[in-house]
Amino acid sequence: MKKTPVISLLGFSLLGLWANLALAAGTQYNMRVDGLACPFCAYGIEKGFVKTEGVKSVDIDLKNGLVIVKTEDGITFTEKQLKRIINDTGFTMKSMTESPL
Amino acid sequence: MKRSNSIKVIGSLLLSALSQPAFAHDPNFGIGPHVLFKNGIETALETNLNKNGAQKNNQTGLQLTYGITGDWSAGVKLPYASKVSPTNTKSGVADAQLFTKYRFWRQDSKGLQESAAVMLAADLNNGDKNVSNGANDIISGLTYGYESLVWYRWASVRYRYNGENNAGIKRGNKTLVDFVMGWRPVMPEYKKPDTVWLFELNNEVTEKNTINGKQTANSGGIESFIAPGIFWTYRNFAIKAGVQLPIYSNLNGTQNKSDYRIRTTFEWHL
Repeated sequence: MKKTPVISLLGFSLLGLWANLALAAGTQYNMRVDGLACPFCAYGIEKGFVKTEGVKSVDIDLKNGLVIVKTEDGITFTEKQLKRIINDTGFTMKSMTESPL
Repeated sequence: MKRSNSIKVIGSLLLSALSQPAFAHDPNFGIGPHVLFKNGIETALETNLNKNGAQKNNQTGLQLTYGITGDWSAGVKLPYASKVSPTNTKSGVADAQLFTKYRFWRQDSKGLQESAAVMLAADLNNGDKNVSNGANDIISGLTYGYESLVWYRWASVRYRYNGENNAGIKRGNKTLVDFVMGWRPVMPEYKKPDTVWLFELNNEVTEKNTINGKQTANSGGIESFIAPGIFWTYRNFAIKAGVQLPIYSNLNGTQNKSDYRIRTTFEWHL
């Protein structure tokens, strides 16, 4: 067996492993949410996300209208899913960004 | 009208005034458009103390509310009431109330929510004889709310249709109109205690009672109140308190004016 294919094989394996690890990492969603005016009412958002499988933490910044959700490894949400959760708690999601943890 | 009937009617009216579903970030005596989050459960313990001349009425109610959707809630209130007069004291399980509220309009922007809702409640004729209204009553209402990080405004109108009891006594129907302002002195932070001061203007127009279809002279009229109050919350726990003081009274015939009404509510969202 030649040396080059072995190195290539090893390289691809490492790349695959890295890719798997990257995909498996959790995600942070920063959502701009309208209607946030009081902490007592915003509790519904925390409750809505905490009971959703794969959510690691929820934080809310009332002043800036931000909801920050971190997920467990390998868990992702679509924008539609996030909008529905926010709407079910009585608020409106305007936009979102996501980044790997 | 016999004296015993008069006392029954006055007592029932006072208890009717006490009965109102409490909802999260709503005013103490008026109503607001707040509902619960979907699948949310609200437990509340509400106490009322109402003094009207020599008559004192107390009511403590356990309330359970469920969030059917993000805009629609429903629940039940199970009150215990006592009526104290110079001659006697009566107490017992009062009429249960079923209620629902639907928020049909919501306009959200950054740090602000405007919304409007309709509510419907039914006081069932299932309480102990000595404290029960003796009839099924229906309450309907419409409310608008403006809620920002600093200022709150609410306006609402309710109509209470009182049923006729077995003795042919019908308490006068009632229209309630409320205007409320709220002010939060410190910018709220999530996971920190939050305080909102409330100032309410509550107006009640009551029709005359009837006995077997005939109006009674000493019943019905107009009363207006101011009601300072507070709404304090920490996480999913809230305490509301307010006192209603009469500022205008134009009651028909000979009736005791309201002296004060005190309401406190403890709420817990699950």
